Amino acid sequence: MITVGDKEIEWHEGMTIRDMLNMLEHTQFCAAVRLNGKLVSSPFFETKEIPDKSVIYLLPLIAGG
Amino acid sequence: MADFTLKEINTLEYVRPEIDKGYTDQSLHINLTSKEIKINLIDKKVKDKFIGGKGYDLWFMWNAVSGKTKWNDPANAICIASGPLGGTPGYPGGGKSIVTTISPLTGIPIDSNVGGYFGPYTKFSGFDVLALTGKSDKEIVVLIDGIDSKIKLYEVSGLTNDSYTLSAQLTDYFDKEKPVNISVVSTGSAAKNTELGCLNFTWFDAKRKRVRYKQAGRGGIGTVFAHKNIKAVVTRWGSVSMKSNNPADFDALKNVTKLHAGEINTLDPKQNRMALVGTTHLVPIMNDHDCLPVNNFKYGQHPEAHNIGEAVYEHIFDKGFDGCWRGCAVACAHGVKDFVPFTGPYKGQKVFVDGPEYETVAGCGSNLGIFDPFFILEMNFYCDTYGLDTISIGTGIAFVMECFEMGLITKEHTGGMDLSFGNRLNALELLHQMVRGEGFGMIVGKGIRKMKAIFAKDFGAEAAIMQDIGMESKGLEFSEYMTKESLAQQGGYGMALKGPQHDEAWLIFLDMVHNFMPTFENKAEALHWFPMFRTWFGLCGLCKLPWNDIVPEDNRQNPEPAKVVKHVGWYADFFSSVTGRKVSPDDLIPMSEAVYNFQRLFNLKMGYGTREHDTLPYRAVGPVTVDEYLSRAERYDKDLTENYKVDITGMEVAEKVAVLRKHREARYEQLKDAVYKRRGWTPNGIPTVETVKRLGIDFHDVMELLKSHGVC
Repeated sequence: MITVGDKEIEWHEGMTIRDMLNMLEHTQFCAAVRLNGKLVSSPFFETKEIPDKSVIYLLPLIAGG
Repeated sequence: MADFTLKEINTLEYVRPEIDKGYTDQSLHINLTSKEIKINLIDKKVKDKFIGGKGYDLWFMWNAVSGKTKWNDPANAICIASGPLGGTPGYPGGGKSIVTTISPLTGIPIDSNVGGYFGPYTKFSGFDVLALTGKSDKEIVVLIDGIDSKIKLYEVSGLTNDSYTLSAQLTDYFDKEKPVNISVVSTGSAAKNTELGCLNFTWFDAKRKRVRYKQAGRGGIGTVFAHKNIKAVVTRWGSVSMKSNNPADFDALKNVTKLHAGEINTLDPKQNRMALVGTTHLVPIMNDHDCLPVNNFKYGQHPEAHNIGEAVYEHIFDKGFDGCWRGCAVACAHGVKDFVPFTGPYKGQKVFVDGPEYETVAGCGSNLGIFDPFFILEMNFYCDTYGLDTISIGTGIAFVMECFEMGLITKEHTGGMDLSFGNRLNALELLHQMVRGEGFGMIVGKGIRKMKAIFAKDFGAEAAIMQDIGMESKGLEFSEYMTKESLAQQGGYGMALKGPQHDEAWLIFLDMVHNFMPTFENKAEALHWFPMFRTWFGLCGLCKLPWNDIVPEDNRQNPEPAKVVKHVGWYADFFSSVTGRKVSPDDLIPMSEAVYNFQRLFNLKMGYGTREHDTLPYRAVGPVTVDEYLSRAERYDKDLTENYKVDITGMEVAEKVAVLRKHREARYEQLKDAVYKRRGWTPNGIPTVETVKRLGIDFHDVMELLKSHGVC
């Protein structure tokens, strides 16, 4: 299992950030996430694999300074 | 024992009014030439229309200057105001000051929104706005003492020019027992030798027992301050509570404060972690999205960018609470203790550095081709203590470095300095020259627009290429975001009233990454709503970060997530609870719209404010050079073939650069048309008579101004 915000999601081997986002609703404006505290930006969503038991938070739209 | 002397030259005792629902309804005017101190009542009509903060600043400036006033004329005013909500402890971002003046860089009003305690303390001392006009013949310190109800002017001698030390000394001088009662505004010694001077606003960090600083950086306000011979403006005030603003509905204020602060306390650790890393989280995100300026905005990413992002600064920042206003939950104003500079007058000494924020990291780091976090700290420290804007310094030196690498300027012009990208020592030497008032640094300190003219006239450099790569618009240097792939953000910079600063509209991700606004009309709507809403923070004395940098977890389910509608509702409640003026979220935009259009008219009054001044250097729009095109060839080829239906078969790269430019520049002009129409302006970018009447800013002199420009 992985935790995304306040939700728990079934984990599978090779699961990417994009796979995870596809399992959620209203994620079209997600440009970056925190994966176990580390930033991952959208250009890496297709390739970044999620380890089991990860804790993930979706970041805001990225609103600038 | 202080090694300086203050000689009292004028004092005014006054009766301090009680704050009424966020307002004192008084303005304080100090004429530095005559040393006259005046207190005026603020008309209710002005209050209703201009709200406070930047609105008040602009109104009092409008009445102080004529269309012919230049930045260095005594008539030019520096106005400082918080706003009706400013000074609310505990409300996130609830203690800002807004500063305006006629900018030496642009010739039009510049506004800067800054932390520190000055604005709230001045309001609690009895004044919604402070207007400084005239020019003193000797260096002067102004004291606004709300505790003793006195305004004092002092001639000063022997006081350092170094902004950090000066502020600490005056804090100690005016309230040694309770330094937290003092806030100081000052600039540094480079401000008077350059046109890039900033102001440092202080607060006393009781835990660290030191004076801390935030900067009103943009547009050379510090240069005007120094030119007026103001050494410092000091305000003194005592205790602050949620009742200090005498809110109309205290319980409602407590409730909305608790909601917003509680949400930030819960969500910031999960999202941007600004209480730990400030805004440095933006560095890797911008880099990953090709938006981090590298080598004078030529490129948008660099493999070494991770060296200057949150992962590094998190471990360098001194741990502890870092709010620039009391109880702010965002608490993003971090600093570094015991930093030891390797150049300049502080070489080898331990200093505390306030910062850096994202803009300084990108401007004085990646944009100079430098990825050394400690070099950035040193640039940050010397810019602050010398009184220089880190954004204009970063963007200005980046321009110089590209000119040097292109051979437009040589060592012959730079006094023998190699100013190619990455040269850390010589970048710092430019700052030190600005303080000493000597060398090539004095030219750099004039800003990019004047540098372009000097390089062309005196050094024979080609004007056209400098126009393309000199990242300024309206005379102000760009802040630190790449805009080539976001037409909306090109508009956000090019049509910003004061020049290319991101605090009006930051639309890169909505536009470029999320493709949320595909049509010109979509973009125009965004370039109406976002600048208007962001203006509202400046009217009220607030910071915008708590609005959309930490957002509710269910925000993404809202059809317009970028507006963070839940927070907009809280801001309406906040305004209603303090002022007693019941407003809904829909009422906030019209408040700003009046002031926003008034500022556009102010630009017109000063001889600007029309379409021709909303232009951009081509570097902000597309690739200027062949190698720049080749660095993102796939992207640009795709743009040509798919968006502009150009057959690129057999085209040389130089031809592709030219064709792409033609299309992208035309597209920006189309955007201007759409935005002007949405804002209720003429095709020349001037508010129409109908617009100014609708907004209730159809004052006699406004109508005369419009008439003189053929708008009837």
